[in-house]
Amino acid sequence: MPTFNHDVVIIGSGASGGMAAYILAQAGVKCLMLEAGPMIDFNRHRSMKAVYDLPFRGFGEPGRFPHITQASEFDANLWIDEKKNPYSHPESDPYYWVRIRLLGGKTLRWGRAAWRLSDYEFKGKDHDGWGENWPLTLADLAPFYDRVEPLFRVSGRNEGWPQLPDGKLLADDSTESLSMDRFLASAKKLGVPTTKPRRATGTLASSVNLLLPAAQATGNLTIVPNAIVREIGVDPKTGLVNAVHYIDRRSKREYTVPAKTLLLGASTLESTRLLLNSRSRQYPTGLANSSGVLGHYLFDQFYVKNTVTAIVPEARGGKGPRNLMGGAGYVPRFTNLKPGKPKKNYLRGWAWDFGSGGTPAPELFPQWGDELARTMADVQGAGFSMTTMGESLPRFEHKLTIHPTLRDEWGIPAPHIEQRYTDNEHNMAKDAMETGVALCEGAGFEVLAAHSQMVPPGESIHELGTCRMGADATKSVLNSFNQAHGVKNLFVLDGSAFPSGGVQNPTLTILALTVRASEYLLAQKKQGKL
Amino acid sequence: MKRRQLLQTLAATPALLPAQQTNPSPDENVVLAVVSPESAGLAVRRFFTPEQFATLQTLADLIAPSIDGRPGAKDAEAAVFLDFLLAKSPRDRQVLYQRGLDTLNRTARTRHQKAFAELAPTEANALLVPLKVKWTYAAPTEPVAAFLRAAKVDIIRATTNSRAVAEANIAGRRRATGLNPYWQVIE
Repeated sequence: MPTFNHDVVIIGSGASGGMAAYILAQAGVKCLMLEAGPMIDFNRHRSMKAVYDLPFRGFGEPGRFPHITQASEFDANLWIDEKKNPYSHPESDPYYWVRIRLLGGKTLRWGRAAWRLSDYEFKGKDHDGWGENWPLTLADLAPFYDRVEPLFRVSGRNEGWPQLPDGKLLADDSTESLSMDRFLASAKKLGVPTTKPRRATGTLASSVNLLLPAAQATGNLTIVPNAIVREIGVDPKTGLVNAVHYIDRRSKREYTVPAKTLLLGASTLESTRLLLNSRSRQYPTGLANSSGVLGHYLFDQFYVKNTVTAIVPEARGGKGPRNLMGGAGYVPRFTNLKPGKPKKNYLRGWAWDFGSGGTPAPELFPQWGDELARTMADVQGAGFSMTTMGESLPRFEHKLTIHPTLRDEWGIPAPHIEQRYTDNEHNMAKDAMETGVALCEGAGFEVLAAHSQMVPPGESIHELGTCRMGADATKSVLNSFNQAHGVKNLFVLDGSAFPSGGVQNPTLTILALTVRASEYLLAQKKQGKL
Repeated sequence: MKRRQLLQTLAATPALLPAQQTNPSPDENVVLAVVSPESAGLAVRRFFTPEQFATLQTLADLIAPSIDGRPGAKDAEAAVFLDFLLAKSPRDRQVLYQRGLDTLNRTARTRHQKAFAELAPTEANALLVPLKVKWTYAAPTEPVAAFLRAAKVDIIRATTNSRAVAEANIAGRRRATGLNPYWQVIE
């Protein structure tokens, strides 16, 4: 018989679940963590293989991942099984829901880019009138960013820009290659700011190596893998969370565990799906949905992959000095920074990742045979590319609902997801492409290809919103500490809490918000309010 | 490091194993050298008609020929592999290939009264002109152009990722490619 002595239940083991466990377990709180996926063992599950020894020569099994373009044949077994975990979207508006169900969640595969949000995001409505402000400011969150960055050993360069707040960084003072120097000079000439990449260092930098071991070492964390949560139970008298119902992934046997306080970090869409699936007499449209906005205001950051691909002419044929190629950089949002009516034909802005030294893909050249082979040898390592990340605006009609009939392998109602990019995003992507071409040409690069075609919504894996925080309980689900309005023992910690997201990769902010929420929870417990 | 690991993988064939000097202990846990099914037998073709397959083989050799002794599509058996891949592919991809190959062949017969596979290289190359169109993000709307663009990418990839190319890279002391961490099924 299990003994229920935990103080909190945490659902999910990725960035938010892992960080909650890290803070709370070290503060002496007994945590029970339920993770839908299995445990991962890097020594047992991973080995070196040659691509020709894979069954599909690196192409991957056709049709296995209709929506996960990131999956390769090497890592296919890390990504979720889309057949067992279905969802739907309108036929005309594909949505690519990219998921990992393993201990550590998507932190096993994140790109590690770690930018702070700014008051251009937190107070976006004040700036240009669109959407809602966050119920907090940069000043509120900065002390928590200060603690997360050293823990994840974030490297980068502070610039003192208001749209890209400085951090507690490992200083990146590396010198630039000659091609990068030329690009940076071209950007400067056109008034475009540039900086070093800012990312967590190390090859993994995940919940499973940076957060969960420290939490478990306290003796206060019990991790339960293979526990798929079906529903959250509610006390009919108080309306508070009192239980979590979960299913063993392998046996499909059902279990219930009591919950005094629940921290939900199952990932943006899974957390909201669970709340919508937790209907009761008190909450007929889903737990914590008294506002009616649960599931709404879904957004992400749109990506235009390789919006510009160019060649550095001096690097052709392997010529040029050794320090000609290499390096990477970042352009933060720089449009519409002045308050009021936007100067462009869109609101807000975009950012770029750019890098020097790759080899352009063969399909970009209108050649084949000998001619193509000689071209590929000529341009090896001579490429320069830029990827656009743009802000997409949260809209009420972009939403997650529960499909009336579709179920997953475990009988849990599946989501229906609706999001499409609008003129604002399309205009932004076009402007980003045209500006990128101008920058590359200004640097003397040969532009090989340019386009403004965004990947489908969801593919950036930066899905956000649907359970947003806000000062007004009639227009939001959570308060500024990620605590559900009206259900004080429920906290939702992942990206679903974002009212807006800017262009910055969201994980660092999820981590900082979770530290803040977890310490608020501790204070509430101490005061006897939880 | 990577190159050494690839060499070890390539060398792991039963014929190269040293003769066993002593009987192993009955408690010993041994790892035996094995080879992939692709290395041991001839692949059975399932998808393309003989004429489509002959067209694909010719096309593959034009797109990725052997150059300066480096293996091309023929050495990599790219067409045989693509027959297998297409058999498992979604229907729209299958139709793209089948119609594209049939059209190439039909055009060859109309213009030269010969099958595509029987054309001289200059004649066959002249039918690939849709590949000379400047790249755009969206695939071409013209079916043969769309097919040729898709086939070019697939043929190059099936060739680059082949055992023949890996062995040639090792033999030529070039950098080993295609060796990566592989994740097993996690249960």
